[in-house]
Amino acid sequence: MTTASDRPSASEGVNRPHSHASKTGKGVGASLRRKEDARFLHGRGRYVGDIAVPGMLEVAFLRSPVAHARLLGVTKPAGAQDRVFLAADLPEIAPIRAVSALPGFRVSEQTALATGKVRHVGEAIAACLASSRAEAEDLAAACEPEFEVLPAISDMLTARAPGVPLIHEHWAENVFLETRREEDLSDLDAVAAAKVTRVLRTSRQSMAPIEGRGVLAEWDTRLEQLVVTTASQQPHVSKTGIAEALGLDEGQVRVIAPDVGGGFGYKAILLPEELVCCALAMRLQRPVRWLEDRLEQLTANANCREHHYIVTAWADREGRLLGCDVDATVDSGAYSSYPFSACLEAAQIGSIFPGPYILPRFRYHTLSACTNKPPILPYRGVARPGVCYAMETTLDALARQLGLSAEAIRAVNLVPKEAMPYRNLVGKHFDSGDYKEALRRAVALVDVPKVRARQAKGECVGVGLASFCEQGAHGTSVYHGWGMPMVPGFEQAQARFTPDGVLELRVGLHSHGQGLETTLAQVAHEILGVDPARVRLVHGDTALTPYSTGTWGSRAMVMAGGAVAEACRQLGERALTIGAALLQAERGEVELAGGTVRRRGGAGIALEEIARTWYRRPQNLPADVDRGGLDVTAGYRPDPDTGTHSYACHAVVARVDVETGAVTLEDYVVVEDGGVLVNPMIVDGQVLGGTAQGIGTALYEEMPYDAQGQPLAGTLADYLLPGATEVPDIRLDHMETPSPWTRFGQKGIGESGAIGPAGAILNAINDALAPLGAEVFDLPATPARVLAAIEAARR
Amino acid sequence: MKPAPFDYARPADWSAALALLAAGARPVAGGQSLGPMLNLRVATPEKLADLRHLPGYAGVTQQGGTIRIGAGTTHAAIEDGAVPGRLGAILAGVARRIAYRPVRNRGTIGGSLAHADPAADWVAVLPCFRGEAVVLGPAGERRVKLERFVTGMLATALSPEELLLAVELPALPEAARWGHWKFCRKPGEFSKATACVLAVPGEAPRAVLAALDAPPFVVADASALCAAPEAEAARLVAALDVADPWRAAIARTALRRAAEAAS
Amino acid sequence: MKRPISLTVNGRAETVLAEPRTHLAGLLREGLRLTGTHIGCEHGVCGACTVEVDGAPARACLLHAGAAEGASVRTVEGFDGDAVMTALREAFSAEHALQCGYCTPGMLVTARDIILRLPDADEARVREELAGNLCRCTGYRGIVRAILRVLAQRRG
Repeated sequence: MTTASDRPSASEGVNRPHSHASKTGKGVGASLRRKEDARFLHGRGRYVGDIAVPGMLEVAFLRSPVAHARLLGVTKPAGAQDRVFLAADLPEIAPIRAVSALPGFRVSEQTALATGKVRHVGEAIAACLASSRAEAEDLAAACEPEFEVLPAISDMLTARAPGVPLIHEHWAENVFLETRREEDLSDLDAVAAAKVTRVLRTSRQSMAPIEGRGVLAEWDTRLEQLVVTTASQQPHVSKTGIAEALGLDEGQVRVIAPDVGGGFGYKAILLPEELVCCALAMRLQRPVRWLEDRLEQLTANANCREHHYIVTAWADREGRLLGCDVDATVDSGAYSSYPFSACLEAAQIGSIFPGPYILPRFRYHTLSACTNKPPILPYRGVARPGVCYAMETTLDALARQLGLSAEAIRAVNLVPKEAMPYRNLVGKHFDSGDYKEALRRAVALVDVPKVRARQAKGECVGVGLASFCEQGAHGTSVYHGWGMPMVPGFEQAQARFTPDGVLELRVGLHSHGQGLETTLAQVAHEILGVDPARVRLVHGDTALTPYSTGTWGSRAMVMAGGAVAEACRQLGERALTIGAALLQAERGEVELAGGTVRRRGGAGIALEEIARTWYRRPQNLPADVDRGGLDVTAGYRPDPDTGTHSYACHAVVARVDVETGAVTLEDYVVVEDGGVLVNPMIVDGQVLGGTAQGIGTALYEEMPYDAQGQPLAGTLADYLLPGATEVPDIRLDHMETPSPWTRFGQKGIGESGAIGPAGAILNAINDALAPLGAEVFDLPATPARVLAAIEAARR
Repeated sequence: MKPAPFDYARPADWSAALALLAAGARPVAGGQSLGPMLNLRVATPEKLADLRHLPGYAGVTQQGGTIRIGAGTTHAAIEDGAVPGRLGAILAGVARRIAYRPVRNRGTIGGSLAHADPAADWVAVLPCFRGEAVVLGPAGERRVKLERFVTGMLATALSPEELLLAVELPALPEAARWGHWKFCRKPGEFSKATACVLAVPGEAPRAVLAALDAPPFVVADASALCAAPEAEAARLVAALDVADPWRAAIARTALRRAAEAAS
Repeated sequence: MKRPISLTVNGRAETVLAEPRTHLAGLLREGLRLTGTHIGCEHGVCGACTVEVDGAPARACLLHAGAAEGASVRTVEGFDGDAVMTALREAFSAEHALQCGYCTPGMLVTARDIILRLPDADEARVREELAGNLCRCTGYRGIVRAILRVLAQRRG
């Protein structure tokens, strides 16, 4: 048996590159232990739910029990008129309108509390206040709403069927947006050696961070400012949204995101509940708190990943793709969420479908369907897990038809490294990488011959691959075209020395598991030599940090890392000027080294001393000192800012129990290239965690809805999240191709792990089932679905 | 997810407990099944009578060939070997796969049986033993054969004024063979099909098929199943008329695999 | 109606006013301001609220105030000086067994129980025992390795 002591620790992957291993063991490339761990390990983290203030009222929402209805009225419990608030009681809240500039986009108006109609189960109707959550729930239970129930759109494919009710009655049809790229592919039938068509479906999921959402709103009478403590990935965007919705100046709103118990996209949204709490705090002049519970999270907010694809692909005899025709529908739910809008997934499908492959011809049509379900939010990987699943399973179907291996068909289609940087037919601009090498390594790491030998003996076991790339940290040039409420620009960071020489970094995005308190300190150490222990990161508070669109899109390490590096570089310049004067040296004779300013090869003066001079002994400053002092705000954006492309190949060995349909993952390998890794241990953690979530997508997680639009998995006993027994001991191998466009060559990689598993696992299952002539098309591949596929093949 | 208001009482003795039940209180032991229902407001009792502290409620005793397991004995205690002999080893294996250890530390065999969720492990397994439930009511003690104790979804032979005191099971010879198979997609998930087969030398083997959204189905003489597991499992499940083809398939598998394990 | 509930928390006798329907997690967090015990699902599945009750891990969300009367409770705040917990904390950090930190307190209480109850546990057993504690960030590898590391240390 392998024991703990002879296993590699988390920081030692297989074949770890060390080209950027920090010289001091603390800078870029070092697997430094996390500075934030100590507080979490002692229960000293501080999440929204941990904060209680005197006089605080708790909110429970009366939520719609039906998916689609006219709301005829709500009878408030007797004696509770002033503790139950309906939409009409809070006219100061403007509806949420998350627009997109894409042509044809239909705008929904989402009132913070339902007005006139309810459009999904769980939509908030009334806010009920009490001194405890339990009593607030008593009030909610005593409210009597009256509905005229309407037929519900519970299946996106029926959204535009004739005669269906309109969810937004002023719309022409239940569609947020359609996008298309036309190309006549009718000649391909004649020339292709293989053609396959697949109809594929993925299920609606709940992102299910272990901490739910939560918000505490207070009105500060001295500052005349709303102070909103909220579990947010993007506090500045929330601030803008709150100010707009409530008609306040942005200076009158301060948003604080404290410790946040997992984001994954679930907390990248302006919440109706936030607006209600804010309005109530202002109205009542009392602190108001709402904490989402798991029932609310599962039934009112299962909001992602539900796609439907009809894919036709043609290939030549070697498996080279000749063209693809994709018809994709995404269930976007009832409203457009702020800031990412209702069409972020569907409208991206066209541009990301080619993935890491050379695709010469392409037709697509996408539909963002409006349904009576919770509004869609972009979950880790956004549309990519579904797209990768569709592309990768289609490729394997082609390979089976052509008698090629899964490796061979990928190898002939992957963009070769010689072509980098490469612009594909829909304009995606890949920065760097050796996609084929990742494939080769992944195949080498799983024992394919052994799987084939077991198959020959009749075992129902298979191997599956998924290759993909992930655009991350894409910026202005990509997002301005969407015309959403938010376009990322220059990311800013503030770097300053406090009088004791501690380096304080301030960034406007937020760390909720990514370890930025550590990694940004490593970046600062790389530039200034300050010990990471002497670096403090301030983040997640709009009053204390520069504006940022927040932590999403695998952007934090590229954007904030670049900004912190630049701010530290400029701060270093200022320290050099002061240091040179104190050393009585010329500016050109001094350098930064080891946390000191020193004469080249000579004596040095500590940065602490330089800080002390600026703040406390200004009489010693030189005349030419920068009057900005030891306090710099700098902006950063990669050039070009079209995004980094990390990439990976996942390889899976899966065994199928043909009697029950149960799937066991026997081996799981990820070969990943995130460019230069600032902290390899943390990157491993991101990849492993994302992969675990992808395993959930592939095998376990599903929020089914009945025909009336009722969600059917109200607890974690029904909505299955992968646990320690469902996630195998994933083996990681890293490649390191620096991005030529970023500060250290780092690439965004936070979402990557979640993208590949569905494709790789379904390919492994279908490889196992191939001798039976069976194939699974829908996610998750539950035992019932796998067994149904086997039965269907038998008939 | 906070419960509706309820009152709580902790009776000091059995007569006080019965009096509380007579007054409409709902009995609770470990609360691991009732707790979620309270938090979800699926159950809204006005008063709970906490049985955990009643004298003799937990614990295992043996008299001759009969092993008595107090209803308040936790799954964890059984997992850790509180029940002696071959029976204890069998029950320990079952207990280990109930929910999760922190739940097993509080949850009790009697509470689980009286709650009567068809997917619950003790509901599925106990009818396989030729045992009895010991029931205390206003008229004193009575005994109910375990295969007749659970009568439906969350329904038992208990009247609202009665309590489950203990289960009494026959001690088993070391040669007793046991097969138990349940289908969960992950540990702790509610079983979607559970089967067990007990073969005691000199007696007809017994089998139970459970967790099919119905009371456990007991095969009092499972000789045919043990002789031809595949064919007999298919025949038995076909007769049960399980609507969902996948549930029927895993039920067949459960019965067959349990029978094979016991042979 | 609130009533006084007396219990021992982290070695200290405490009396807290609480309604019978208040669960132990709420009582600890709101009544005693011990916010290290986190609430994740309130139906016993996720394990975030796992604390030690009378010497064994239990779900603080499924134990309501009345039933907690007289109990001895230990939360993540109450393990300072505990050698196993100290080793686990070190191992969790070394193996990157936590990201957002929300599941961590419950995970540590379960992990400590595994170490003490199952000193010979192998990887498969550790994973099985962790099934009742969900983590959405790490993919569990770091957690499993941290526990195996401490088990190996204690086996010498």
